[in-house]
Amino acid sequence: MNDFFTFNFSQTYKKTFSLIILLCSFTSYAAEQAEEIFAQLTPSLYQIKLIDKASGEKSSIGSGFQISSDGIIATNYHVISNYARHPNKYRIEYFDHLGHQGSLTLKSVDVINDLALVQREVKSEMDFFVLSKGAPHKGEKLFSLGNPHDLGMIVVPGTYNGLKKESFSERIHFTGSINSGMSGGPVVNNQSEVVGINVATSGNQIGFLVPHDKLVNLFNAYKSSPPADIKRQMAEQLMASQDKLMTTLLNSPWESKPLGEKGIIPIIDVPFIRCWGESNADKTDALILAAVANCSLDENTYLSSHLFTGSIEIEFRYMQAKNLSDNKFYYLYQQQIARAGAGNRAGKDDVSEYQCNHDLVKPDNVNINNKAIFCTRAYKDFSGLFDVLYLGASVDKKQQALVSHFTIAGVSQKNAQAFTRRFIEAVSWE
Amino acid sequence: MGVNNMEIDTTKVQDEEIMAIDHLTTSPTIIIEEISRGHKMLHRYKLSKESITIGRGYDNDVILSDPHICPNHMHIDFVQGTWVVSDQNSINGCFLENPKSKKHNADQHIINDGDVITVGKSQLRILFIDHPVIPTVHFSAFESFINLMRQPIALFISMTLFISIAGGLGYLSSPIESNYSQFFVNAVGMAIVFALWPAGVALVSHLTKHDARTMAQLGISFVFFNLMWFSDFLDNVVAFNTASNSLITLAAAVLPIILAFCLFWLNCYIGFHMTARRRVIVSMSITALLFGGTYLVQYSHKPEFNPRPQYNATIMAPTFLLAPSSSINEFIDDNNVLFEKASKEAIRDK
Repeated sequence: MNDFFTFNFSQTYKKTFSLIILLCSFTSYAAEQAEEIFAQLTPSLYQIKLIDKASGEKSSIGSGFQISSDGIIATNYHVISNYARHPNKYRIEYFDHLGHQGSLTLKSVDVINDLALVQREVKSEMDFFVLSKGAPHKGEKLFSLGNPHDLGMIVVPGTYNGLKKESFSERIHFTGSINSGMSGGPVVNNQSEVVGINVATSGNQIGFLVPHDKLVNLFNAYKSSPPADIKRQMAEQLMASQDKLMTTLLNSPWESKPLGEKGIIPIIDVPFIRCWGESNADKTDALILAAVANCSLDENTYLSSHLFTGSIEIEFRYMQAKNLSDNKFYYLYQQQIARAGAGNRAGKDDVSEYQCNHDLVKPDNVNINNKAIFCTRAYKDFSGLFDVLYLGASVDKKQQALVSHFTIAGVSQKNAQAFTRRFIEAVSWE
Repeated sequence: MGVNNMEIDTTKVQDEEIMAIDHLTTSPTIIIEEISRGHKMLHRYKLSKESITIGRGYDNDVILSDPHICPNHMHIDFVQGTWVVSDQNSINGCFLENPKSKKHNADQHIINDGDVITVGKSQLRILFIDHPVIPTVHFSAFESFINLMRQPIALFISMTLFISIAGGLGYLSSPIESNYSQFFVNAVGMAIVFALWPAGVALVSHLTKHDARTMAQLGISFVFFNLMWFSDFLDNVVAFNTASNSLITLAAAVLPIILAFCLFWLNCYIGFHMTARRRVIVSMSITALLFGGTYLVQYSHKPEFNPRPQYNATIMAPTFLLAPSSSINEFIDDNNVLFEKASKEAIRDK
């Protein structure tokens, strides 16, 4: 019972960048085609390495591909994220199919779509990958290129399965093994046009790609006006992205649903917020009957290995005392709300410590009286962005309790306040 | 007991000594007190003789065992209405102790009331029979309170109360249904641990040749332990009913410190003879040590960066909900300050 009752607000990072290697068998036709594509494209493929200046050794590796004759190479932001955050500590290098090395300069990033543009020096015009004009059709055979686990460049055939469902930031669902190290590599159709960029995997042949149009947008924006400062560019992108997300959330319908016998909670009706439920109704020896509903945005923005942002967690908990005195019920209830934590990973260099405030809050329009706790911490590099946490605990019923909680990572003050207000107003007793 | 404490307080008496100088006694009765270097009285002699012998020898009127004193060290003689010191060619001499100037030889010195004479490593204070005494001190309210609390029945009640509260809190915070006797055993164990403090104080006062007064120490301590529970409860009610940064919260936080100080003060009052000033200093020091030490330990364990929010989540049953609630607007407005504070901290620590 203890386990069940403990608030599990621990950080979850569902997006991983490396998983199991699976072999895939395709028809011999596909194999021949793959061979041809590989031979044709390999001069424009690169392994991208981040070299730690002090030790001279590589700290991360990924793949990249040239998209212009003057040496612009596309890769994932997360491949070069350490450089973007600490440009003085690292340098970026490429390693081409002939084994030549050279240095790269960071030109532009899209942190939301996990893309980056780097540039190598070129003496003469070079071959490059052509970006596709249109999206592939479902079931179309695609070829993913990259250098998994530093094993050498490979080509992996797979299938286009449309855009990932219930996702705020668009991702292509690619059935084929993408492995760590292939991040930033291109995925091409059989005309050798880039339709996506390797970005993540969920294992078992489930891979995710950034759609090529995101790269087209980034490249076009770069050609028209290159960003002066990468950090500022990132801050602007984060600010715009949270604004888009929060506006969507605040303008979507919030459906009232019952929780337990007496609680009313809001469920935000957007496809990318997914909810799960659990209760201990089967445990007869539990002192408190509890029902929990959890909703979250299952994606977050990777800024560095210890700074994730953009996540949202919402949790509701209804509790009903079974044969307990009021005081004992409240004693146990207090233990449930004592240990809420951040929803995202962030370190000392990234954020301030949390500042908290608590008060008794009774919304005018609904019949609930809450102990309300609100905490926030500010981002050090992206001023105007905050992580916020709210915890509301009803204190007006002797034998029932309703806990409402959310965390939002990387949000502006205005949006956080608007969301908090809406959230408090939406939680009530029947 | 508390009354006797005062006689050692020589600093107060000294002012009044000056008045006594004018009418020196003509009676050949004198009081000689053997005092320690801390001016605590070790022995008192009241002698009615015209010549008093002082020394290590057993034929003296005042026998001192200090090996630095000669067998026949000095005399004090009543000559023409005054008492005069005469050194009997002692090896280490006799000196007049004077807080204002250096000590000087006491041979042939005409004694004033309250003079302190050093012989060897011992000190003698000489008083005349009309030496003024400080006014009688009433039994303080504490005395009757202490006497009440040390009664077995009162002690039993406070310990029972303590055990019930400790057991009750154990029961309340237990997440599973358990045997009541378990909470009782834990609570009794806790009472025994807490009883170590008054028992320890009583032991120290016994070892320092004071009255142990164990029952009084126990009685008073448990009254205060119970008051601490109460203050804890009050603290929770306040935290539950008020918003962050409320002044009442601060006041509630000071209460346990005041209670601890009072407890230590009473411990000193019961167990030791000391001046009022020293008692305050000792109690303040122990309180500071206790709370300052706790704070230091917490401070030293504080991580450089805490990724978890620190908030006060005190909630209590609706019965204890006394304060009116704020509106959402007020809450949201208050939170604006947090954003400012966090932003400032982010810029400062960058």
